[in-house]
Amino acid sequence: MNIGYIIRRLLGAIPLLLGISLVLFGVIHLAPGGPLDVYADNPSVTPQAMEQIRTAYGLDRPVPVQYFLWLKSMLVGDWGYSIRTGRPVLSEIVDRVRPTLELGGLSLVVSLALALPLGIISAARRHSALDHVFTFLSFAGISVPVFWLALLLQLLFSISLGWLPSAGYQTIGGGSVLDKLAHIAMPTAVLSLATVASWSRYVRSGMVDVLNQDYIRTAYAKGRRESGVILYHALRNAMIPAVTIIALDLASVISGAVITETVFAWPGIGRLFIESMDGRDYPTLMGLMMLGSAAVIAANIAADLAYASLDPRIRYE
Amino acid sequence: MSTELSRRSALKGVLFGAAALSTMRVMPVLAQARGGTLNVGLTYDIDTLNVYSTGFLGDVQAAVVEGLLAPDGHAQYVPVLALEVPTLANGGIKLVDGGGMTITYKLRPGVKWHDGAPFTSADVKFTWEAVKNPKFIAESKDGTQDIESIDTPDELTVICHYKSVVPNFASTLFTFGILPKHALEGKDLNTDSYNEKPLGTGPFVVREFKRGQYVLTERNPDYWRKDDKGVALPYIDRMVFKIITDSNTLITQLKSGELDLVVQTPYNQAKQVENVAGLELIKGSLLSWQHLDFNFRKKSLQDLAVRKAIAHAINRQTLVRAQGGFPEPIKSPVVPVFSLYDPNTPEYAFDVGLANKLLDDAGYKKAGDGIREKDGEKLSYRFVIQAGRADDELAQQVMIAQLKAVGIEAKPDNKTGVAYREARYKGDYDLNYGRWITSADPVYSVFYGTKGANNGQGYSNPQLDAVLSKMETTLEPGERKKYASEMQKILADDLPSIPLTTNVAVIAKRTKLKNLVPNPTNMTNFVDTSRWYLEG
Repeated sequence: MNIGYIIRRLLGAIPLLLGISLVLFGVIHLAPGGPLDVYADNPSVTPQAMEQIRTAYGLDRPVPVQYFLWLKSMLVGDWGYSIRTGRPVLSEIVDRVRPTLELGGLSLVVSLALALPLGIISAARRHSALDHVFTFLSFAGISVPVFWLALLLQLLFSISLGWLPSAGYQTIGGGSVLDKLAHIAMPTAVLSLATVASWSRYVRSGMVDVLNQDYIRTAYAKGRRESGVILYHALRNAMIPAVTIIALDLASVISGAVITETVFAWPGIGRLFIESMDGRDYPTLMGLMMLGSAAVIAANIAADLAYASLDPRIRYE
Repeated sequence: MSTELSRRSALKGVLFGAAALSTMRVMPVLAQARGGTLNVGLTYDIDTLNVYSTGFLGDVQAAVVEGLLAPDGHAQYVPVLALEVPTLANGGIKLVDGGGMTITYKLRPGVKWHDGAPFTSADVKFTWEAVKNPKFIAESKDGTQDIESIDTPDELTVICHYKSVVPNFASTLFTFGILPKHALEGKDLNTDSYNEKPLGTGPFVVREFKRGQYVLTERNPDYWRKDDKGVALPYIDRMVFKIITDSNTLITQLKSGELDLVVQTPYNQAKQVENVAGLELIKGSLLSWQHLDFNFRKKSLQDLAVRKAIAHAINRQTLVRAQGGFPEPIKSPVVPVFSLYDPNTPEYAFDVGLANKLLDDAGYKKAGDGIREKDGEKLSYRFVIQAGRADDELAQQVMIAQLKAVGIEAKPDNKTGVAYREARYKGDYDLNYGRWITSADPVYSVFYGTKGANNGQGYSNPQLDAVLSKMETTLEPGERKKYASEMQKILADDLPSIPLTTNVAVIAKRTKLKNLVPNPTNMTNFVDTSRWYLEG
């Protein structure tokens, strides 16, 4: 692995993040509305009071000035204060990171564990009945709306069978590992389904391409068993296109899964994002979006590095 | 979800059948069961537990923090930390020469904060100073500016000197809640940990607040209130407020038994709970109503005949059905829960024939496209509502169709958030449909007064201004009622705005939860939790 290359990529990310922050700041201020929207029906909040609140948050200043003030404090590690809650933005985010990583991480593991074998089997037995079944299931999995699937699971497991809690992170007051697993089971299943469906398609198509290559025929000619050919010769090359997709999905783990988190009352980043959006909580929104952007950039660098380790022909100077 | 939540100044109204009322009011003969955990579903993600800065109604806060007074199920004030509600009659309010007034509160002795410290007059004075402090960013500082100074001659007496006569003094400051001086003096209220774990005097104590998940409250063992037999309240041991922002999940949790109470069930979901064993729905209207406003800058809308025709053209029953059948049709902006409501207010019945006749007689002739016009002005209007509110959007479609039937064209021009607020306050519309939410002591001059801050309609009626001014400066209940009736009559005759339907709260609860008296006000249904109990 080339350390110099990694450092150069990381340095290159700095102007990129600056540019992103500028665009994001502009866009969220262009969006109609503002943090004071919530007073719309409230006759007792006078225009003078609104003006006072606006001044207190610095919202009365020109947007470019607001941006530079935000950037200045961001550069020294001050993420600002949430308009909604009055708490530091960093605490707001830190509170939500753990549930997000748990849910995202677990569904990632589940997705990988299912998508890889499904994709490989489909490719190895392409046009077989099994392949058709997997193909059908994949398209069904991609097409099923998340909120609908979530509702069905809740109806089945929480109302009809009474096996699992329908929502929440844990039993009030804290719970055992088993309790946490019971809470995370349905959100993980919902979150994994679409991912398994799409990843297994990428794995399958990558595999199909590779299996038609001459070196695969050579490997068979050498007398290797099929499992050896697929896992040793084909898989590494077949994974290259899939890695790109998986890496980008990895980045989205940190941004949370808005719908799944909302339906299952999971206290993650995705919900914080929606609440901040509703309340036009600019400091929290900027914090979250910068975090998300950084994650995407990092995942891209990681994907590039993964190519090199999968395919020795790819080298970065 | 959160856009649908009323802000805290939104006093929520409750109307329930007289039968339901009487059964709830009668104390059961058997002793109330003690103990148990009540799981409450909240539809919003709590921002802060500080009553003065939260952007939501303070449901949790109402069970934890108390004020001097609180509104009851009829939006009438009753004493809480004060011993009685100050009035002119009992000498609690004294008018001062030169226009001011003095309010004296006698405080309840023996009340303790959750940490054991005594509650005194110093806390009341501190509350005023802390909320008034310009550094404190509050959702509402209502009432702080009306007070000139506060004297605390002894630990249980508070004398507030008001700059002017403020009949609605009870709906603000000290009713929201009293802040503990000993815990908050010298602290920054914007960021203090009080906002996570408020220290109150109420029946429940906040034990744990997990952001985005739940607030766990437990029975306050030293609560001052006793029941009629002298048994210490509250009855319930634990109340858990679970944050569940998805309305489908809320219903699922009610059905699965994970929740016992949801105080704002969405109209379109409530029907699902209706026939579930062990669950019941209670309907309560909010102190809020839906209305259609006219812009008087538009020439044809200055014509009373056109306004009346529109009132006759709208079928309120259809609007009610479009909102799940829960709201009630109304004829006055004073919602019927108020004692100031005058049932004799004239009504505009749904009558398409009459609407057409009014327009014909006034000389508005239908042109080739079916739209009426007179003197070159077409009866074609820009119809503004807040975009994204499903109920409002549906009602708008209904009204567009109903207006079309009498030859009036309404074209939607819906706006979001602040843009909507600006259009509404500045009169950037021809027709505007929306809601207002009032306090328990509503001030109507802000809506219909010539200089009213919320009067974006350009409406001015000196006769009405005079009545409003008298109504809003008198403390005499009989006088207030008389002026209120006059106001409702003028508004119905002159019709600057058509009151259409009330807004209601649909409360879904487990039937074993007893003694819940829905509260119409911003102090929420949780203002009197100490008497709630779980049967069996």
